[in-house]
Amino acid sequence: MKKVLLEYANVFAYTITGLIFGLAFFLLFINFYHMQELAETVDVSAYNDTNKASVEEKIETIRNNINVYNQSTYNGSLNIYGLNTVQLKLQDCLEIIESEDMMKYFELDEIGINDSYNFTVDFKNKILNDCLVMQVKSLFNTDTVATLPNFDTIKPYVELDLEALLDSTNYVQSNIENSDHYYFSTETNKANFFNLVDDSYSDIMNSYQNSLDLLVEVSNWYRDIVIGG
Amino acid sequence: MKKIFNGLFYVFKFLLLIAAFALTLFILIRMNVRLEKNITSILPELIPFAILLVLFIINMIFRQHGVNGNVFYNLTCCLVLSTIVCVSLRAILDTNMVLNEKYGYGVDFNFFDNFIAYIKIMLYGLSIADVLFMFREKDNDKIKDEKKSKKLKKA
Repeated sequence: MKKVLLEYANVFAYTITGLIFGLAFFLLFINFYHMQELAETVDVSAYNDTNKASVEEKIETIRNNINVYNQSTYNGSLNIYGLNTVQLKLQDCLEIIESEDMMKYFELDEIGINDSYNFTVDFKNKILNDCLVMQVKSLFNTDTVATLPNFDTIKPYVELDLEALLDSTNYVQSNIENSDHYYFSTETNKANFFNLVDDSYSDIMNSYQNSLDLLVEVSNWYRDIVIGG
Repeated sequence: MKKIFNGLFYVFKFLLLIAAFALTLFILIRMNVRLEKNITSILPELIPFAILLVLFIINMIFRQHGVNGNVFYNLTCCLVLSTIVCVSLRAILDTNMVLNEKYGYGVDFNFFDNFIAYIKIMLYGLSIADVLFMFREKDNDKIKDEKKSKKLKKA
């Protein structure tokens, strides 16, 4: 009886060892795979060139639109305090967009996970917070601006767009932050679902372009009222 | 050949145990300093290392062939301890993990924290297997002793 029990103990010991061997083998190799996956770099030189051209074009449009107004030569009937406020706020936004911190991403030929993450954080802090919330949102809560023509038409559009843009980056940031955890992905999954480096970067770039589109719309409205008034 | 491999695994398991213990201790202490917790709270995480070390020393002192001569067990020990070393080193050195840079503590606690449960499972499992292999050793020795005594009686 004792011998049988000892045989069972032996079998049990081998079973435990085997299971642990499997678990350790799996964890060790998934670690190598995870490490390799996080070290992945993506060539974005062509993508960045296209986006840079598009951004520069939009910046130029905004600049031309806000430069149609000059306080010293303006002879129209609109509230000049309102016009000055809009011009100054859009000018501040332009400075943020053209800053070294934001433009440096267009110079990158290859990006890694850290670049995608830094781009997400900088986009959130500088474009969404410093420009869209601090400048554009506050612009539409100013009494002097409220007296300008078509204010009631453009305000809901801007607010709706702003809300969508503010929420657009959260999942990308948390996705990258969660990449420190183990997850089960295969080449097929990567091809069909979300590629962490590439897709995060292009998602933020899309939001960045949408933010500029919003600014172009606001500047077009500004140009129209200055010329019309 | 089998003896050479076994000898290598046997030596490596001691070296890797020391390395794994040192790295885990370093990370856990850093974690506790960051959280301003009492240092005694890391003891439960270190107990499996201590148990395994004690068992290895017992195996060595009493020359338990059932454990020391078991290539599969020694290989599994090396694999488990290498995994712990690899994960600990990644938590410290892998700068591609964004939270490592974001929080600036020099250790990615978020990553290592996921692994603590696996460390415990594997180390406790190895300890249990070690103890069970010890019984096998005793049993084999007894059988050999019985056979020897029977032969002596017959003679």
